[in-house]
Amino acid sequence: MLKMSHLSKVYRTEVVETYALRDFNIDVKEGEFVAVTGPSGSGKTTFLTIAGLLETFSGGEYHLDGIEVSNLNDNARSRIRNEKIGFIFQAFNLIPDLNVYDNIEVPLRYRGMKAAERKQRIMDALERVGLSSRARHYPAELSGGQQQRVAIARALAGSPRLLLADEPTGNLDTQMARGVLELLEEIHRDGATIVMVTHDPELAARAQRNVHIIDGQVVDLAEEPRFHAHAAAPQSLA
Amino acid sequence: MQIRPILAALRRHKAGTVLIALQIALTLAIVCNALFIIHERLANMSEASGVDEANVFVIKNQWAGDRSTQQIDAQVRSDVLALRQLPGVRDAAPASGYPLKGGGWDNFVTMTPDQVKPTTDSSVYGSDEHLLDALGLRLIAGRNFRPDEVVVMGTQQVVIPPVVIVSKALADRLFPDGSALGKSFYAMSATPTTIIGIVDELHRPGVNQWNRPYAGQSLIWPLRPDDARGIYYIVRAKPGRLAAAMREAPKALYAQDRMRIIDPKDGLLSFARVRSRVYDRDRGMAILMGIVSMVLLAITAAGIVGLTSFWVGQRRKQIGVRRALGATRGDILNYFLTENLLIGLGGVFVGTVLAIGINLWMVARFEMARLSLAYVVAGVVALLLLGQGAVLAPALRASRVSPVEATRSA
Ligand SMILES: Nc1ncnc2c1ncn2[C@@H]1O[C@H](COP(=O)(O)OP(=O)(O)O)[C@@H](O)[C@H]1O
Ligand SMILES: [Mg+2]
Repeated sequence: MLKMSHLSKVYRTEVVETYALRDFNIDVKEGEFVAVTGPSGSGKTTFLTIAGLLETFSGGEYHLDGIEVSNLNDNARSRIRNEKIGFIFQAFNLIPDLNVYDNIEVPLRYRGMKAAERKQRIMDALERVGLSSRARHYPAELSGGQQQRVAIARALAGSPRLLLADEPTGNLDTQMARGVLELLEEIHRDGATIVMVTHDPELAARAQRNVHIIDGQVVDLAEEPRFHAHAAAPQSLA
Repeated sequence: MQIRPILAALRRHKAGTVLIALQIALTLAIVCNALFIIHERLANMSEASGVDEANVFVIKNQWAGDRSTQQIDAQVRSDVLALRQLPGVRDAAPASGYPLKGGGWDNFVTMTPDQVKPTTDSSVYGSDEHLLDALGLRLIAGRNFRPDEVVVMGTQQVVIPPVVIVSKALADRLFPDGSALGKSFYAMSATPTTIIGIVDELHRPGVNQWNRPYAGQSLIWPLRPDDARGIYYIVRAKPGRLAAAMREAPKALYAQDRMRIIDPKDGLLSFARVRSRVYDRDRGMAILMGIVSMVLLAITAAGIVGLTSFWVGQRRKQIGVRRALGATRGDILNYFLTENLLIGLGGVFVGTVLAIGINLWMVARFEMARLSLAYVVAGVVALLLLGQGAVLAPALRASRVSPVEATRSA
């Protein structure tokens, strides 16, 4: 589903060159649930933005669903984002000017979907995250956990094959975090591939596989990811 | 395509939206009326006078010292003879006034001697058989005066000559069936005057707004003016010799008799100067309205650029989010253009109502004409285009916001 080989990403400013990713290799199979861990600044978000076609990379190869993406133009990339990928951000990233219903509708409109189908999908997605009664609320009127569930509903409504989540529970308390994770697990059971960046070892442990990033590179952990994920708190690896 | 959510989002930015819409409305209202005023004033400025303007000039001659009317009339006759003999001069005539600016008066016109309500109004010129040629008027029917028909005007008693030459506008007004030649009418007297000639165009003296409906209705009587205060001499130069003739004419008159005043500033005017002077206020008004329109349009455009730039800056994050969720650059560009169009439509709707309101008020208060709807339509189109033009640069900037912006915190 998602395969990067020898991929690199360099950020250049006038004074420095930062290798956010170097010789980066990963292969996420269709239907996998992968947790990405690593210390702050190690390149997790960079990996996710490149995986989600939000950003271009400097070298190497990236095949998404069998397509080499470096040749795609901006419109084609927008289209893939719209149709195949769902994003969940740490800061929820709901559009504050739009109510819950309209927020979930945004990607569906860009897909050119008919109004009736949009409505159906929005109502289904809201029901799935348990917020059917909040459709007319604005983001500012919801709790953090509710906002993140709306964001998940927005990602869900488009039935993406790949769900990318960047510390989806980072701004939530433990109980809300658990709720969000349960949702993700449910979505995974329905067949979506999920890549989730997290700081939380407990959450990482619930994924099928853990990938640890240090200094822009994937670090090999032993064969038993569950056990090592607990042990591999960033500090202990420094 | 995305009108409903754009409107929904605009409801969350009421202040900016209403401000820009109102600015558009006011600009439309004022610019429509300003353009209309400009159009009217330009139309005034190009009004036909009937005069061969390139070659005609006017001398305002004031008498100095005491003279009897007989002496004045004798002097006038020898003055015009002297003027006609100048090498650069084609013809010259004494006159009580001249088109667009000087002198003259108005008479009521009736079809019967005892008619109470006048049929119409006409300006009156008194001159001799040389006036037609001196002004360069075009006789389209009938004949000119004969020398023996010309009489002295007489300041004290009212003389109504039996023959008259009228402008086509007056002829058509009095005899709409086109049968004016040879017919008679009454102009504030018990005796009729008979139309012996019709000139195609002769503007009244003066260009006031209130007698514009009568501006082309004039009549010429064969009355040589002998007013003790002064007289106008209308002189028509031979083609290309206007400047020379204007230099020679006052000298020739002073050579006849020094007891006269020809003001060096206002006493000698080419007809081109006359036209430019009388329409000074029209021209000034047109220029002022033009400047007002330009300034308003510029301010409105700047307001739109400013507000949209502010909104784009404020919404960078959500633009990034939209891009991440699948919006193309075109979608983002479209969003801002559509948003501006919606605000603009609201603005021009209110503006149209305002424009018509302002015009109706001016119609009632300043005898302005009714605003033609074409100006409102033109104004609406212009403002909507202005809005789209103004929003283009910030909207393009918005479309270049990277989708990665969605992952940046805050
Ligand atoms: N836009 C950028 N410009 C310059 N450097 C960047 C940019 N984005 C990220 N980086 C750098 O790349 C490295 C990886 O960052 P990031 O992927 O955000 O790490 P993580 O998400 O693991 O905390 C860091 O050193 C960061 O400073
Ligand atoms: Mg990060």
